[in-house]
Amino acid sequence: MEYYSPTELNEAYALLSKYGDAAIPVAGNTFFMGHREELFDEVEAVVNIKKLGLSYIKIEDDTLKIGATTTLNELFNHEITSSGDYKIFAETVNELNINEVRNMATIGGEVCIAGEVDMPTTLLAYDANIIIGGSNGTRSVSMQDFHLGYLNTALETGEMVVEVQLPKPIENARGGFSKFERTAADLPIVNVAVRLALENDGTCKEARVSVGAATLAGVPKRSIAAEEILVNQKIDEALIEKAAVASNDVECINDFRASSELRALWVKCGVEDALKKAIAQG
Amino acid sequence: MNSINLKINGEDCPVDVKTHWSLAYVIREKIGLTGTKTGCEMGTCGSCTILMDGKPVFSCLRMAVDAEGHEWTTIEGIEGDDELHPLQQTFIDDHGMQCGYCTPGMIIAAKALLEENPEPTESEVRKAIAGHLCRCGTYVRIVKSIMNAAEIARS
Repeated sequence: MEYYSPTELNEAYALLSKYGDAAIPVAGNTFFMGHREELFDEVEAVVNIKKLGLSYIKIEDDTLKIGATTTLNELFNHEITSSGDYKIFAETVNELNINEVRNMATIGGEVCIAGEVDMPTTLLAYDANIIIGGSNGTRSVSMQDFHLGYLNTALETGEMVVEVQLPKPIENARGGFSKFERTAADLPIVNVAVRLALENDGTCKEARVSVGAATLAGVPKRSIAAEEILVNQKIDEALIEKAAVASNDVECINDFRASSELRALWVKCGVEDALKKAIAQG
Repeated sequence: MNSINLKINGEDCPVDVKTHWSLAYVIREKIGLTGTKTGCEMGTCGSCTILMDGKPVFSCLRMAVDAEGHEWTTIEGIEGDDELHPLQQTFIDDHGMQCGYCTPGMIIAAKALLEENPEPTESEVRKAIAGHLCRCGTYVRIVKSIMNAAEIARS
């Protein structure tokens, strides 16, 4: 197993192309080292992408841009992502109770895992775009299209995630995040992120309800039924309850961590909780 | 093999490492600082916690080969001249351990907390050690030890 620590993007792309699927880009190390025994026979080259200058949080052209190797605690502490339009990032990170992992894990890694993690659920609710880099340049894929299935992404051989972009939320937008887990160190059983855009009179102009960790698909899914109930309505407790019940259009997985029935119940509770958090932000 | 120079507790430690070796393994088996413990080796127990530039990380989830260029602090590096760190002393005085296996990780996590927040509430202490398992179940005394150490450090 070879180790590379390139300092130029092109150098990194060349290595990823050369080794193909036997190369793994790493930054925070947490996924790779946590799975090193399974990955040992598959991986021939470990490419450390931390020295490529991809750790940043900035707003350019009304778009929030987060570099792939930005750690979760950097998101938690940065002014842009802990207040105002984007404070949902700090709220999402706050639900991961292991400080040690927050100091290492990166947003690019969370996006690429395509499994039971928190950040992609929030990114789906915020209509994020994933910027993928490769020898032939960069391309943008929506969060929704980036995840093809459990542990399966739109990345092709020789490519890696370089940035996460969020369009500016519509005015008066507010978000909420809710999560169920067994212990701090375990993977989430259910996580829910919502984003609401409200008119001045309180009417909901746009709604996103995104459910992760619990889905049969293995990756975050939007509850279209819950969103339809919220749009063009004034949001009160009764409507929140109705939307929460409607979120059972997201099919839940049945595994050793929780049954599909329990998950469906927790999805309902999570949607209710996240919507209440979003409304309380006003 | 990759030749690297690790800076641990202020000392240079040149060492040859393989790509897949964890920092926890290198610190224990190659450098010989066995105060840092390894439990699950997959980031769920917290016993291997050390400080990277003052911030706690799991050394079992860190590639040793990627550990150059940082200041690492292990449990061996926190005591003063012939004097235990207040956290070490209160863990002894308040019996913040039974078997002691989780203790180095707990103390390191608590040290990072107290440097950032010298006056933590009990729930902040509990949150700081949320990623740490104590199989003896000594949590109540661990929290008490940390709270008392905070008080001593302040006075």
